[in-house]
Amino acid sequence: MNDNEKAFIEIRGISKYFGDFAAVYKVDLDIKKGELFSILGASGSGKTTLLRMMAGLEIPTEGKIFIDGIDMTNVPPYRRPVNIMFQNYALFPHMTVFDNIAYGLKKEGVAKDIIQDKVSKMLTLVKLSEYGKRKPNQLSGGESQRVALARSLIKEPKVLLLDEPLAALDKKLRQSTQFELIDIQEELGVTFVIVTHDQEEAMTLSDRIAVMKEGEFVQIGAPNLIYEHPKNKFVADFIGNINMFDATVIDSNEQDVSIHCEALGGDIVLQKPSRAYNIKEISVALRPEKVMIDKQQPTDENIDFVTGIVEDFGYFGNLSIYRVRTNNGQIIQVSKQNRIRSEHTITWADEVYLSWESDSLILLES
Amino acid sequence: MSGLLINLDNSFRDRLWKNTIVAIPYLWLLLFFLAPFLIVLKISLADPIVAQPPFTPLFQESENGSFSIFTTFDNYLYLFQDSLYFITYLSSVKLAFISTILALLIGYPIAYGIARSPQPTRNILLLMVVIPFWISFLLRVYAWMGILKTKGLLNGFLLWIGIIDQPLELLYTDTAVYIGMIYSYLPFMILPLYANLEKLDVRLLEAASDLGAKRWEVFKDVTLPLSVPGIIAGCCLMFIPAIGEYVIPALLGGADTLMIGRVLFDEFFLNRDWPVASAVAIVLVLLLVLPIVYFQKKQNEEPLTES
Repeated sequence: MNDNEKAFIEIRGISKYFGDFAAVYKVDLDIKKGELFSILGASGSGKTTLLRMMAGLEIPTEGKIFIDGIDMTNVPPYRRPVNIMFQNYALFPHMTVFDNIAYGLKKEGVAKDIIQDKVSKMLTLVKLSEYGKRKPNQLSGGESQRVALARSLIKEPKVLLLDEPLAALDKKLRQSTQFELIDIQEELGVTFVIVTHDQEEAMTLSDRIAVMKEGEFVQIGAPNLIYEHPKNKFVADFIGNINMFDATVIDSNEQDVSIHCEALGGDIVLQKPSRAYNIKEISVALRPEKVMIDKQQPTDENIDFVTGIVEDFGYFGNLSIYRVRTNNGQIIQVSKQNRIRSEHTITWADEVYLSWESDSLILLES
Repeated sequence: MSGLLINLDNSFRDRLWKNTIVAIPYLWLLLFFLAPFLIVLKISLADPIVAQPPFTPLFQESENGSFSIFTTFDNYLYLFQDSLYFITYLSSVKLAFISTILALLIGYPIAYGIARSPQPTRNILLLMVVIPFWISFLLRVYAWMGILKTKGLLNGFLLWIGIIDQPLELLYTDTAVYIGMIYSYLPFMILPLYANLEKLDVRLLEAASDLGAKRWEVFKDVTLPLSVPGIIAGCCLMFIPAIGEYVIPALLGGADTLMIGRVLFDEFFLNRDWPVASAVAIVLVLLLVLPIVYFQKKQNEEPLTES
């Protein structure tokens, strides 16, 4: 982790046009060595095209890609120190699991006994030691995924690109596989670049996330940064659940911001904003888990609160989600950990008090 | 209770319907394949006579009024005794085999090209492959006579551009037969190959390339092995009719072009030796069917191999 400062993958002003349509538009990106980096976006955001350009499967219309300091922009895929794991794994159906994994080494002209040795080790790493002689059609989804991972890691690439690595797995399996992926990444120290549409997957897997929209990055940062400090309404809305309200700025300076928000009960003063706001119309966002819900009025006099009536509620076991209609007609979503094992005390049509810490509020320009 | 009865009735009718649907192809095969085959088999076991029909009946009535079955293997023995038949079989297999291989070499790149071209172009190209079928087969073979004859189009063109100064002897040679066969059967090679190559998952090719395979290695390691079913289908569709082909060697081939189709024709219509002709036909069917049954059995076994 000494090379932490230096970017391992440098992407400079890269664009990809399909006809007139820009799938990726002037993207810049630095990925560090050994990093677990996710590109998160909805389908059609250009994230897969960007990944394919890193793999060499797509030639950029403009811009440059450097890997480990070497210009790779026009290098064909078979000469890149990069391997890709495809979304539906793309295992060779006519080859055994062993031959699938060995393929990359065979193309390198590695001696047979070394291939045998390396593939066996890799099969052990992905916990498929007994599966070498099977054909891909005799594997379950999770097993196929692990074969695909083994196949793409066998050449010890400097960078592993993963296109929706877990999308084809069911939920239970996805969770355990996530941690397996992280373990393998830590063991081998390979740089992982993951493309996904699943924000949960991106959050748990990555050191850093780039949120992509219409061919451009909207925000790049650590998962908690993106979650707690979204840069704009799109990111706030795309990652996790959020309540968003219109507000107007009354007064703003370096120390605090006064806003008026009808939905949150009137005037609010926010301490230490990251910057001054000189526009008037603004959005205030509040994550559901940061709202406290109670039948009693909060005792702390400094805390802001609104009252409302529970209109809808869903029980998820570990937590409950309430939709509360406030007295001024707004809907606020609240999630509450079910910490005490009992009948849920708050239910439909209950009158409740909603309160929050003032630094939970996020100010967003539209 | 009545509901149950109606259900039973329905399920009975469903089953009847299903059985009828399944029975139709069997009935078809029975009527138009098995029955004629048995008739030909019967004739091949008879003796030729000068009569109408020109062979001895299977059931013969002896003088005392009892029936006896009359069969003879003389015709088959005759096929083995006269080396002409063996040589003709071999020559037919050779002609059909070489034509099939050449057609595969020509057809594979065409099918690959069509499968890889963009959707609108693809349909036009496919149409162009099939369009010759709009014209009668016989007419197309006649057209080749016009092209290949000594003073034909091809020789005229080659003389004109100066590649040759003597016209080539093409018509009535084996070369003409090869040209005719490949031309006529090429669509039967291209279409199954296309159907196979079109389904090929591009990501498999990308995966191979990503793992270090150069373009031709991607083809050799992934495209080719995965297109084997298409190759087998195309080759069968071409080889089987080619082996018994009559019209092409009759029109384009020389006197020394030996093909089993011509021998069959001559035995039937010139020698009027129906039993020998039938025996020739039966041996041909067996020669074709046995390898195919073997191949199919092998193909069916393949996916089950598990260690």
